[in-house]
Amino acid sequence: MISQFFILSSKGDPLIYKDFRGDSGGRDVAELFYRKLTGLPGDESPVVMHHDDRHFIHIRHSGLYLVATTSENISPFSLLELLSRLATLLGDYCGSLGEATISRNVALVYELLDEVLDYGYVQTTSTEMLRNFIQTEAVVSKPFSLFDLSSVGLFGAETQQSKVAPSSAASRPVLSSRSDQSQKNEVFLDVVERLSVLIASNGSLLKVDVQGEIRLKSFLPSGSEMRIGLTEEFCVGKSELRGYGPGIRVDEVSFHSSVHLDEFESHRILRLQPPHGELTVMRYQLSDDLPSPLPFRLFPSVHWDRGSGRLQVYLKLRCDLPPKSQALNVRLHLPLPRGVVSLSQELSSPEQKAELGEGALRWDLPRVQGGSQLSGLFQMDVPGLPGPPGQGPSTSAPPLGLGPASLSFELPRHTCSGLQVRFLRLAFRPCGNANPHKWVRHLSHSDAYVIRI
Amino acid sequence: MTDSKYFTTTKKGEIFELKAELNSDKKEKKKEAVKKVIASMTVGKDVSALFPDVVNCMQTDNLELKKLVYLYLMNYAKSQPDMAIMAVNTFVKDCEDPNPLIRALAVRTMGCIRVDKITEYLCEPLRKCLKDEDPYVRKTAAVCVAKLHDINAQLVEDQGFLDTLKDLISDSNPMVVANAVAALSEIAESHPSSNLLDLNPQSINKLLTALNECTEWGQIFILDCLANYTPKDDREAQSICERVTPRLSHANSAVVLSAVKVLMKFMEMLSKDLDYYGTLLKKLAPPLVTLLSAEPELQYVALRNINLIVQKRPEILKHEMKVFFVKYNDPIYVKLEKLDIMIRLASQANIAQVLAELKEYATEVDVDFVRKAVRAIGRCAIKVEQSAERCVSTLLDLIQTKVNYVVQEAIVVIKDIFRKYPNKYESVIATLCENLDSLDEPEARAAMIWIVGEYAERIDNADELLESFLEGFHDESTQVQLQLLTAIVKLFLKKPTETQELVQQVLSLATQDSDNPDLRDRGYIYWRLLSTDPVAAKEVVLAEKPLISEETDLIEPTLLDELICYIGTLASVYHKPPSAFVEGGRGVVHKSLPPRTTSSESTESPETAPAGAPPGEQLDVIPTQGDLLGDLLNLDLGPPVSGPPLATSSVQMGAVDLLGSGLDSLMGDEPEGIGASNFVSPPAAAVPANLGAPMGSGLSDLFDLTSGVGTLSGSYVAPKAVWLPAMKAKGLEISGTFTRQVGSISMDLQLTNKALQVMTDFAIQFNRNSFGLAPAAPLQVHAPLSPNQTVEISLPLNTVGSVMKMEPLNNLQVAVKNNIDVFYFSTLYPLHILFVEDGKMDRQMFLATWKDIPNENEAQFQIRDCPLNAEAVSSRLQSSNIFTIAKRNVEGQDMLYQSLKLTNGIWVLAELRIQPGNPSFMDLELSLKCRAPEVSQHVYQAYETILKN
Repeated sequence: MISQFFILSSKGDPLIYKDFRGDSGGRDVAELFYRKLTGLPGDESPVVMHHDDRHFIHIRHSGLYLVATTSENISPFSLLELLSRLATLLGDYCGSLGEATISRNVALVYELLDEVLDYGYVQTTSTEMLRNFIQTEAVVSKPFSLFDLSSVGLFGAETQQSKVAPSSAASRPVLSSRSDQSQKNEVFLDVVERLSVLIASNGSLLKVDVQGEIRLKSFLPSGSEMRIGLTEEFCVGKSELRGYGPGIRVDEVSFHSSVHLDEFESHRILRLQPPHGELTVMRYQLSDDLPSPLPFRLFPSVHWDRGSGRLQVYLKLRCDLPPKSQALNVRLHLPLPRGVVSLSQELSSPEQKAELGEGALRWDLPRVQGGSQLSGLFQMDVPGLPGPPGQGPSTSAPPLGLGPASLSFELPRHTCSGLQVRFLRLAFRPCGNANPHKWVRHLSHSDAYVIRI
Repeated sequence: MTDSKYFTTTKKGEIFELKAELNSDKKEKKKEAVKKVIASMTVGKDVSALFPDVVNCMQTDNLELKKLVYLYLMNYAKSQPDMAIMAVNTFVKDCEDPNPLIRALAVRTMGCIRVDKITEYLCEPLRKCLKDEDPYVRKTAAVCVAKLHDINAQLVEDQGFLDTLKDLISDSNPMVVANAVAALSEIAESHPSSNLLDLNPQSINKLLTALNECTEWGQIFILDCLANYTPKDDREAQSICERVTPRLSHANSAVVLSAVKVLMKFMEMLSKDLDYYGTLLKKLAPPLVTLLSAEPELQYVALRNINLIVQKRPEILKHEMKVFFVKYNDPIYVKLEKLDIMIRLASQANIAQVLAELKEYATEVDVDFVRKAVRAIGRCAIKVEQSAERCVSTLLDLIQTKVNYVVQEAIVVIKDIFRKYPNKYESVIATLCENLDSLDEPEARAAMIWIVGEYAERIDNADELLESFLEGFHDESTQVQLQLLTAIVKLFLKKPTETQELVQQVLSLATQDSDNPDLRDRGYIYWRLLSTDPVAAKEVVLAEKPLISEETDLIEPTLLDELICYIGTLASVYHKPPSAFVEGGRGVVHKSLPPRTTSSESTESPETAPAGAPPGEQLDVIPTQGDLLGDLLNLDLGPPVSGPPLATSSVQMGAVDLLGSGLDSLMGDEPEGIGASNFVSPPAAAVPANLGAPMGSGLSDLFDLTSGVGTLSGSYVAPKAVWLPAMKAKGLEISGTFTRQVGSISMDLQLTNKALQVMTDFAIQFNRNSFGLAPAAPLQVHAPLSPNQTVEISLPLNTVGSVMKMEPLNNLQVAVKNNIDVFYFSTLYPLHILFVEDGKMDRQMFLATWKDIPNENEAQFQIRDCPLNAEAVSSRLQSSNIFTIAKRNVEGQDMLYQSLKLTNGIWVLAELRIQPGNPSFMDLELSLKCRAPEVSQHVYQAYETILKN
């Protein structure tokens, strides 16, 4: 049972404070939380904290702290889930989640909280259900401002692609102005995959897994049915076989409870009546067997001259994507031994950049075309580094503290699992309005792409 | 209008302005004004002065405005109770509004106004709303009962709301059911005795049906409620499991974990041979793995739970090692938790993979993480014997890096490896000694000193090395000082000729120049030992040490079982029982797993005491022990625990003293000197008076005991009684008794045929019972039993049968079959047949366990007119496996401290006070302490039976 819920700004000012159970303590609790959080030692988990018999659980979202407190032994999972649902809900109702929108819509937020939680018991978090109860209308921010880049969310914020949805399109309240007929009927569908890879120093692949989800944000009138067609060769589990080719295989799939699966077995079609707002339609994961080659391979060579304290690192990065694809915002992060003082570099193309910072080398490659190969030669001075003794003055064994290298990148229009959305059909009759806009996107990005050196 | 001006600073007239706006005629203006008031309220401004004006806006048909006003009321009613009464009429009226939203809103808000005067007005509307036609109103009213109960419990009971609430469990709307369950669970927690949530197969069935229909949040309430139910048998457990399993694939992690909790708990009742058991195990892994791809906060909470699950049932995740590999971008708290789980899952099969990972981690940049990784390598060596050699060489590689903190951690863990595998890896000592100078952390220094002392005979310059530490003795931390003292004494005992001066020096440093009582006491103990009897000293100090094992960092089984019942709650994150962090006794009913079908494993075993305070073998030398990874070292710092009995007892006396045990008078209190010393004698004045005493009397106590342990005969056997009269069994008469001899239980039966026909084909079967008693062999009646013939049979029993709690506890239901029919009877067996031979608890353990068991579990009994004296009582009980651990005499009364252990591992501790009653009879007063207090009554009966016959 939740005792209190509050939202703090990034600086710790309370924006929303709601007490459900007449607890003593009042608003000082919010301050107490912030003090505790900022004073926590590094290796202790901030997820669940307690002070006397008051327990704090929080998440950070869009720079805000959403905090729930309880004094009982309840499920931290339900609190964490609830907080992230609340973040989504508030985003849906207020347009986007942020300090400004929250303070503009205090009354709405309280009204929502009252319906979501009664006496600290969660009642519902479904947008659809809440629609029946919510009276207050959202106060919307200025239409679109260039300065408001912080509100650019995942949806519609297509990076460097020809077809770009207006970046503010997805950040508007789901429920705003029931009378407003000019509202667009839009639906955004994202297939997002996160790729984690671990490559040993000898180049062998230790671990690879892909976490994928299909997310939907709908502004359609509720009750309209939608059919999402997935790649037909989509197989679940190790044994299933479909189509003639190797198929698109995932290990595990879970669906949102509103998805009808009657056509899934036969045609890989998901049928649902999406509620307003955001929804994760499907989650899946696969590990170990990737149908396509890994997007990047790194070939490092390290030369370490102990006598002169000179460390030379030569990195060759090969992109194994199909030639037409490209990777964006590629960044290689290589921790270096303590005390590295200077860096000289030779990079294979001018748009790249490399610099030292926080004990690590950062190599930025804004755009890497599929099939291309890039390289960088870095020379550093490391005075007074204890190297492995008992070996000659010059040895190629890497000194301590070097590596592992990690890569971060985005792969637009690419899914590592190969899963694609074939079609998105709406069984919806526009009432005098233009056809609804449908935006479908595929995107992969790195979660932890680590190469040991 | 832009509403940011809600937040402009308070000007002087703002309250007046708002007042005017609130009283405006225009609805829009009123609404805006209330919004402004609420915005001010949020940022902490006091707008309570506007109370009457806001309440005036309450009577409106605009729902939005009404909601805003109610919001304001909830906040300020408490501080303005008199004003709040003004609003009551509107509330009552709103509860009858045709619009269900308004009815629900009114009843919800009224419940949140925690003003006593309002509650009485609330009852009538609440009663109506509980029976409202609209489910939204009913579910709100259900929660309102819980609110009202919190304010005025008596009122809720008097008004009969609880019964109405119970009826709502059968409501047609799942949302109402969920809220009713949640409200009842909470109310039930504050009355642990009441039977509010009467869970029976019927109501469970209703809940399981509602489970499929209600929202995810309702599912959590229901699953948590199910977890409190104990199915009557394994079939019911299985059928509930089958219906709960689909929840494992839910997208909401809280639903998943609540389902895991139910399954983990009910699995206890399933037999491991069942196919279904295996299927269930397989189904548990994927949802747990999936949780690890969530955001770090959820991951962390999930990992803490997985840590418990892995300790309870490692088989679930044994193939999933890879998912626990640390990701480069994991937050540190997730990394550490993963590391811990990796060690728990390490086995011979995957150790190579794990070690390779750990070695990588040990070269990362984050110092904390690197340290933990090095320690983890040591734990691997201790856990998986086959890997020890590789671990040691990995550690040596790491030492070669010369990175200071890595070297120090490595030395600390190598010391543990020596403790586990003595005389195996000593070749590395030379390498360790090279790094002596770079050690600056107390723990590493202490570890190194221990190694030097332990292997002094193999290190040529051990005396020089130790002497070098001695120079700055007073600047060292206590941990190092204690270790140095011990090491030098060891060295002296091994090379007495060259080191006499050194040992004198350290003893005088420890006893005369130190004001640390631990150090001084240890110094005196060594000094006296050395001066009294160097041979004995050698046996004590150089005694073989017990091997350490990985168990030291496991959670104590009883606690683990309790925590398993709390999976998916805060308790599972803190790894503490809720009673440790929930105040006011709410929800702290102790939970335990249902008894297992094969209960040969113990549910209670004080041998592994709570990780926080292992009794006996730990001096309070090392201040904290919270971290599992740090645990292993501590074992050594206590005095050696094994060795010749004389040595053990005397040194442990010291330990007891240091622990400041309240029970230390147990050891007797007449002061008794120790013989004159011919070695170096300590300055007599400085000897603390109490030091000599316990040592001396400890010895005599010990001899007392050994004299008592003599005759080992079987336990008391009751005369045979008729269990099944002939008239009830078509002529078969069965009488019998139970015996226990040398560890085996048997049921001695006498079958008499009083019928006119021959009886053949005998067979016997037991119903499930509290301790799993079952026939160990079939009933063998070799020849047919002719009329009027009697046969005596001894049927061997074991205790690995199915377990079900019986009433009374020692009830046994038996079915006997012959060629005529099947007959049933039940009998009560004396509990002492279940007392096992190794029920003698270590003395230290006894003290610690006695203190550890809460006082509520203590039961007192009287045994009158016992014809025996203390000695006789002790030996009589001993032959029935009730062991006397200590004895003392207080004001003419003998006190015996005894322990016994049941076949299922439950320990019972007893204090027996023997006082003279009638001239030749004694009155005994028996206090029993046990973690399962329900057995006390039967143990008492066993005592009485044994002593009176």
